[in-house]
Amino acid sequence: MDCPTCEAMVDAYVDGELSAFESADFERALELCPGCRARLERVREVSSLLRALPVEPTPDLLRARVEGEIRAIARRPVDRLRWMAMAASLVVAVSIGWLGGSFVGLGGRENDELVAGYLRVAMSDHGVEVASSDRHTVKPWFAGRIDYAPPVYDLTAQGFPLLGGRVDLVDGRRVAVLVYRRNQHRVALTLWPASSNGDSQPSVGERDGFAVARWRHAGFEMRAIADIAPAEMRSFAAGIDKAVDADH
Amino acid sequence: MVGMSEAPRPDAKTAERFRAVVLPHLDAAYGFARWLTRDPMTAQDVAQEAMLRALRYFHAFRGEEARPWLLRIVRNTWTDLRAKARLENGSLEEVENKPVDGPDPEQSAVAGDRRRQVAAALAVLPADMREILVLREIEDLSYKQIASVLGLPIGTVMSRLARAREKLAAELSGRLGRRGNGLPDL
Repeated sequence: MDCPTCEAMVDAYVDGELSAFESADFERALELCPGCRARLERVREVSSLLRALPVEPTPDLLRARVEGEIRAIARRPVDRLRWMAMAASLVVAVSIGWLGGSFVGLGGRENDELVAGYLRVAMSDHGVEVASSDRHTVKPWFAGRIDYAPPVYDLTAQGFPLLGGRVDLVDGRRVAVLVYRRNQHRVALTLWPASSNGDSQPSVGERDGFAVARWRHAGFEMRAIADIAPAEMRSFAAGIDKAVDADH
Repeated sequence: MVGMSEAPRPDAKTAERFRAVVLPHLDAAYGFARWLTRDPMTAQDVAQEAMLRALRYFHAFRGEEARPWLLRIVRNTWTDLRAKARLENGSLEEVENKPVDGPDPEQSAVAGDRRRQVAAALAVLPADMREILVLREIEDLSYKQIASVLGLPIGTVMSRLARAREKLAAELSGRLGRRGNGLPDL
């Protein structure tokens, strides 16, 4: 075997792509060829360095979204419109970086804005504009940024520590978003003054794999969204209501 | 691949089979997308879009190996997304031209300067070399599987892999110096 042939086989040898016969041939040729032995060492070294690289785990949010899509299809075998809307919203979101997830749908615009807002909260290190677990820091931060004072409570005791807040747009209006944490997940609570009277019980649904709760309490429209289980979302909504009532 | 509108709509049974056969490879899809895009946010978009496409095309899956099949879709998705972004507004230029880095080994429990250097060296390789190294060394695909993901003849896989390793070795010897890293003098 001449050296060029030998050299061409180094990678295949390391990768276990040679037959037993070819390998034996190569090993004999290698004895006579210091250049190819050096190359063999380099290839082994590069290979082991790359294999030692840590693997970055799949983000929870990505997994939740993918599983949400699969669940949605498994549940609704014949809803073609939903599938197309989902695909359309995904294409839009992918192509413009999640910032404009609205599509012509059946009143889905607010939901889309909530999902898009949640993604900004959950997928970015800058999702919170005021970072504090102290409601006396978070609440005054909203003054001058929006035209109402949102009720702000820390729910650490209920398992939802307050992380901070931000301002977002829902239906063209600047609204307060409070960000909480549930284990490794973030919960975004968007709230604004209700235009109609009376409380309503939280209704928890699912949207793109996220749990979404909507209710009205103490004069505020509440929307909460997170990649957590619906039962956890119900306990979050109940915790908010309780904290608001205790303060009144 | 057929266009989206021509594919039959997946039903509940398909979704369940997909969950069992393809979903276990989500980590591989994200990891590959992470190295292709060199950006965690874009990688999530690409991986998610690829999973959706995979679900859409799953009816055409004929029991070949799921992981290479999915990785091929990831790569096609990334190619399409780049082409589309270039046509529309060049919004991905920022991603493609920014200073690059791979997944940050700092985040792992046993972070090391050497690993960070290896990741950085891999990240700056040309795309065709980077992807083939990731498929071989990180995804541990055979030459035949790599050929199917990249749509290349086996001979090209062999020669490109050899060039990519030489290039990475050269890059590493520059970054790591010649002492203490086990890399022989180059």
